[in-house]
Amino acid sequence: MPSPELAIRELQQVTDAALAILTLDELLRELLDRIAAILGTDTAAFLLLDEVAGDLVAQAAKGIEEEVEHGVRIPVGRGFAGRIAAERRPVAIEDVDHADILNPILREKGIRSLLGVPLLVEGRVIGVLHVGVLSPRHFSDQERDLLQLAADRAAIAIEHSRLHAQRNIVEALQRAMLPSALPMIPGMLLTARYLPAAVDACVGGDWYDVFELGRGRIALVIGDVVGRGVEAGTLMAQVRTALRAYALEGHQPAAVIDLLNRLFGAERPVKLTTLAYLVLDPEAGELTLVSAGHLPPIVVDPDGRARLLDVEGDPPVGAFRSAAFVERRVPIEPGSSVVLVTDGAAEVRGEPLDLGLERLRVLCERERDPRALCDLIVRGEASAGPSDDDVAVLVAQIQPLPERLSTRWPANADALGGLRHLLRRWLAGHGAGPDETYDITVAVQEAAANAVEHAYAPGMAAFSVDAENREGLVVVTVTDRGNWRDARGENRGRGLPLMRGLMESVDVEPADGGTSVVLRRTLAGS
Amino acid sequence: MTSVIRVEEQRHGTTVVASLDGELDASSVGDVAVRVRRLVQNRELRLVVDLARVTYMDSAGINLLYAVGDELRARQQQLHLVLAPGSPILRTLAVVGADRSFPVHPSLDDALAAG
Repeated sequence: MPSPELAIRELQQVTDAALAILTLDELLRELLDRIAAILGTDTAAFLLLDEVAGDLVAQAAKGIEEEVEHGVRIPVGRGFAGRIAAERRPVAIEDVDHADILNPILREKGIRSLLGVPLLVEGRVIGVLHVGVLSPRHFSDQERDLLQLAADRAAIAIEHSRLHAQRNIVEALQRAMLPSALPMIPGMLLTARYLPAAVDACVGGDWYDVFELGRGRIALVIGDVVGRGVEAGTLMAQVRTALRAYALEGHQPAAVIDLLNRLFGAERPVKLTTLAYLVLDPEAGELTLVSAGHLPPIVVDPDGRARLLDVEGDPPVGAFRSAAFVERRVPIEPGSSVVLVTDGAAEVRGEPLDLGLERLRVLCERERDPRALCDLIVRGEASAGPSDDDVAVLVAQIQPLPERLSTRWPANADALGGLRHLLRRWLAGHGAGPDETYDITVAVQEAAANAVEHAYAPGMAAFSVDAENREGLVVVTVTDRGNWRDARGENRGRGLPLMRGLMESVDVEPADGGTSVVLRRTLAGS
Repeated sequence: MTSVIRVEEQRHGTTVVASLDGELDASSVGDVAVRVRRLVQNRELRLVVDLARVTYMDSAGINLLYAVGDELRARQQQLHLVLAPGSPILRTLAVVGADRSFPVHPSLDDALAAG
C-alpha cells in the first residue's frame, strides 16, 4: 500500500480535476476505481442517503455493480451500511458469515470481509463508502483512516456536484419565473435585470415582476425569498403567482400583501419573503407602496434628484400571521423613475445597510439612463463589486409626453387600453377637466376601434393617432389604411353618432391610402 | 392585457344583478357578454347591470346593452341599469338615447326596490 499522503494526493487530484467535467456518477466510479486500487480490495461502493425516505441508496459500485442495477436500499440503522450511517463511525466486519448483513448481494458475491465509513459534510451524514474483499482480511487502523480520508474528499465532491446541479435547476426555475419580456406600455420605459449569485450555494429566490392592473395602473414587484437553492426557488414561484392572483382580483395593495401573508404565514418551518409591491398610476400621478421588510424603493425626480421612499417597518411576509400591512401613497410626476432592488445590489457584509443605500441613491443621480443604471447596479457598482448574493433590479420610468402627441398602434383591440391611458395623461397635461377627458377619450376610441375592426389583415395593420392643442382647441387625428365604414348590423353603428355627440366636429377625410378621422373640441378652461 | 374588468353576480328573488368593475371596451366586451348572458336563466324576470364602478364604457358596451336588452325583451324579461347621477357614462348613453331605452337607477338599492 502506498503512503497515505501519496494516496490521498492521488485522490485529491481526481476530485479537483474531475469536478469540472464529470457527472456525479462518473466521478464516483472514478473514485471507486482509485480507492479499490489503493486499498487492494475486490469491491467498493457508494451509498447515498435519501433524506426523505431515510434510506441509503446504492449510487455507484465496483465489483458489486448489481447493487446499483437493483437499486439496493438499506434503511439507516439496519445492516452493515445502515449501522455506519446511524453511528456515524467506521465499521469493519472480518467475517461476513457472522454478521448482520442486510444486502444479499454481498453474500452472493462471496465477500468475506468489509470495511465501511460514513460520508460526512459539516457533521451531516450524506452516505456511506464501503470496500470488501473475497478472502478474510483484517483491516488495519491505517487502512480505516485512509478510507475515511477518501470518504471525506468524496463527500465534499458529492456536495459540490449536488450544489452545482441544484444551481442549474434554480437558475432554470428563475429564468422560467422572471417575465420573458416586460410588458410594452405606451408612455412607460421598463427595464430589469437579474444576475444569479457568483457562488453556487447562494443562488436563490430573488425575483421581479411587472403586470398591468387595468385603468392604466401598473404593478411593480420586487422580492427576495429568504433561503437558498431549490426550496427558495420554488417558494418564490408560489409567492410570485399568488401575488399576481390577488392583485388581479382587484384587492388594494395592502390587502394583497395581507392575503399573501395569511397564505404563507401558515408554513412550518417559517419561511420569510421580503418584498415591495407598488402600484404606479401614471394618469393620477400617484404611486401606492407596500413594503414587507424590503429595501426602500428609490424615486428619481425629473430634475435628477434621487430619494429613498419612507417605508413602514412592516415585517417580511410569513413572519407573523397577524401582521397588518400599511400602504403609502406618494405623488409621482412624469419624467420620474422608480428604482427597485434586492439586497445584493447594495449590501456589503459587515457594513451598515444605510451606507449601501446611500451609494445606490447617488448612483441613481449619476446615471440617468435606466438601462445603463440597471447594468451598473447588477455589476456591483453600489455593493463594492459582484455580489455573492443574487441581484435583481427593476426600473420603471414614466416618460414625459411631448407637446404634440404622435403615436402608432397595431390594429388590434388590445391596443385600445394603452391608447386610452396615454391620451388621458396627455389631456390632463393640457388642462382638460375630467368630463372633457372622458368625452374626448371615448370619441378617439370610437375612431380607433373602427380602424381596428376594419383592418384588412389582423395583426399586420396599424393606425396612427396624433393629438395637438391649438390654444385650447384639441385636435385629434386617427388615421388608418382602410376606408371608413361605420359598423353595420343590429346593435352596431353607434360609433359615429357617439363621436359627433361628444365632439364639436368630426370630419372623415381621405388620407393617403386610407382614411383620417379628425376630432375637434375646445377645452372649457382655455 | 391592458384592461381588466370583473363581473360579480348576486341574486335577489327573481332579479339577477351583474356588477361590473373596471373598463369596458372592444377588448373586454366579449368576456363580459359571455358572463352576463350566462347569468340570466328562465326563472328570472329582471337583469340589473350595475355600472356604478365602471370607469370607462364606449359604444362596444352600449351595443352590448342593446343586444342583451333585445334578447331579454324577447323572453318577457327586463334590463335595468344602475348609474350614479352625473356619471360620464350616463352622459354618453344620453348621446345615443340609451338612457331612455332602459330604466336607469341611481343605486343598486333603488334598482332592487323598483322591482
